[in-house]
Amino acid sequence: MNGRIEYWVKIPIGPIHPALEEPEKFIITLDGERIINVDVKLGYNLRGLEWIAMRRNWIQVLYLAERICGICSFSHNHTYARAVEEMAGIEVPERAEYIRVIIGELERIHSHLLNLGVVAHTIGYDTVLHLSWLAREKVMDILEDIGGNRVNYAGNMIGGVRRDITEKHKRAILDMIYYYRQEVMPKIEEVFLYDPTVEARLRDSGVIPKRIAIEYSAQGPTARGSGIKKDVRYNEKLGVYPDLGVKPVTPKEFTGVIKGDVFDRMVVRVGELWQSMEIIERALDQMPEGKIKAFPKDNMIIFKLKKAEGEGIGRYEAPRGEVIHYVRAEPGRDGPAKWKMREPTFPNLFAVARALVGEQLADVPVAIASIDPCLSCTDRVAVIDANTGKRKVLTEVDLLKESIKKTKEINPNIKAKPERIGIGRCAL
Amino acid sequence: MTPEEFAERVKAKFEDAEVKITENKLPHPRKRIWIEVTREKFKDLVKFLKEIDPAAQFSVIIAEDRGDKLTAKYHWEMFWGQGKSLSVVIGTACPKDDPVLPTITDIFPSSLPYEREVQEFLGIKYEGIPDPRRLFLPDDFPEGIYPLRLDETGIKPEMVKNAGHPYRRESK
Repeated sequence: MNGRIEYWVKIPIGPIHPALEEPEKFIITLDGERIINVDVKLGYNLRGLEWIAMRRNWIQVLYLAERICGICSFSHNHTYARAVEEMAGIEVPERAEYIRVIIGELERIHSHLLNLGVVAHTIGYDTVLHLSWLAREKVMDILEDIGGNRVNYAGNMIGGVRRDITEKHKRAILDMIYYYRQEVMPKIEEVFLYDPTVEARLRDSGVIPKRIAIEYSAQGPTARGSGIKKDVRYNEKLGVYPDLGVKPVTPKEFTGVIKGDVFDRMVVRVGELWQSMEIIERALDQMPEGKIKAFPKDNMIIFKLKKAEGEGIGRYEAPRGEVIHYVRAEPGRDGPAKWKMREPTFPNLFAVARALVGEQLADVPVAIASIDPCLSCTDRVAVIDANTGKRKVLTEVDLLKESIKKTKEINPNIKAKPERIGIGRCAL
Repeated sequence: MTPEEFAERVKAKFEDAEVKITENKLPHPRKRIWIEVTREKFKDLVKFLKEIDPAAQFSVIIAEDRGDKLTAKYHWEMFWGQGKSLSVVIGTACPKDDPVLPTITDIFPSSLPYEREVQEFLGIKYEGIPDPRRLFLPDDFPEGIYPLRLDETGIKPEMVKNAGHPYRRESK
């Protein structure tokens, strides 16, 4: 009777949970309020992309790569194009490299603004969510102007880019940068660097120490927030990035300390917004005239790649961290013999799961949101449902019907319809 | 450390490893190191990497079905602290009738999810893996089927549903 009773509670968070934007499952073992173990289960968004890619040709895989994720769609087909170019020894015109930089940095701005809003939302600052997503509309308009689409702008082609940046686009981009510098960034800095409530809430929560970040290969802002000076654009001497003065942003330049917590990750994102705008301005200045494609016609690419043999790796710093694509070609085959990709959320998720041990349960949503998880990127592999049995799969509409039924038991005046709206930000 | 110096050091320690350096002709040329070793020497080589650079970052396992053998390529980024980093790819292979590779989770803990992924998709068994559960595939997925294999243990045509090729008429 006098012995102390210890009991652990297991709480599943997900697959569908209000705190998570996309389906993923964390099984959290609790001792009181303290987390002692976090287990991650993935695979709720499997689409079998690697399997599909075995049946596609080189150009089709480019568009498939773009649809891995809606937020970093440019990063994925950019990296794939780089891997193929390295494999086949294709030289990209310099103007195309500059256009890749510009679109890539515009994408980084919109992704970081999105994440700032999401983190603000998880701590209850919904006004910040709406305002930062309102500011994000400006860069989405520019991307729509350049690529014809808000997401999946299909900017890349193997050996160049598909769309040029004209004088008109240039003026619009400079207008946008002026707007961000004058009106958006001061407010964002006010909230994420100087607001006492935000600092109190985000400081010392979800700490990823530098040693854990190295051990678990954290990527992108998650790693840089822990003080790891690592950025693929800088380490890999990628494209024309070295001419534009890119360097890893760490929170030390802004706040003077590195703790590796959620606050530091947000500081890195704010710093990268500033850096991206500078890079875009320099790229627009230095961009030479010339052609934008190595091959004027797309069928020439297939013709050349059909004879290619070898393997190549492409790496790029997406807004969330390092994306890495691998391709292998066999002569006589019009598609890749092997295509493999790795996206930053995969190692980051396990790093943050490790870092959550010893924290409080209330910090889970904000810590997970702070790595900017993109589960449709992570769950890209694998395959087809093999069930032939009688297992019934409930669709979203079924679940909504059940949910509305339950609400009607409480309040019969509810008149909602079970409509499919889609869950997950990559479907935005 | 330059790629050539690194290749020299690896060659001096592991005579039977095949080392080649490829160069990319983008505006700023960059080199990658590709190493092939047998699976018996593989773990020693990984330990050697960790000795050279304790902060090496493990990135990805690229596993493949190559006919009578299964290959796995591991990518590391090394010396990222010095500015221009080294991109190292180490490949190894195992025969299909004995698909076993040594685990490297004790040297690089971040490789655990990748090994779990390869284990369920390609059927390579990792010797001494601390957590052999499935990661991506659902729990009711049939045993003995490895989705990315190209032989009879891969996905059979009758298992494929709603995955039509856009150019094939009969697919729905």
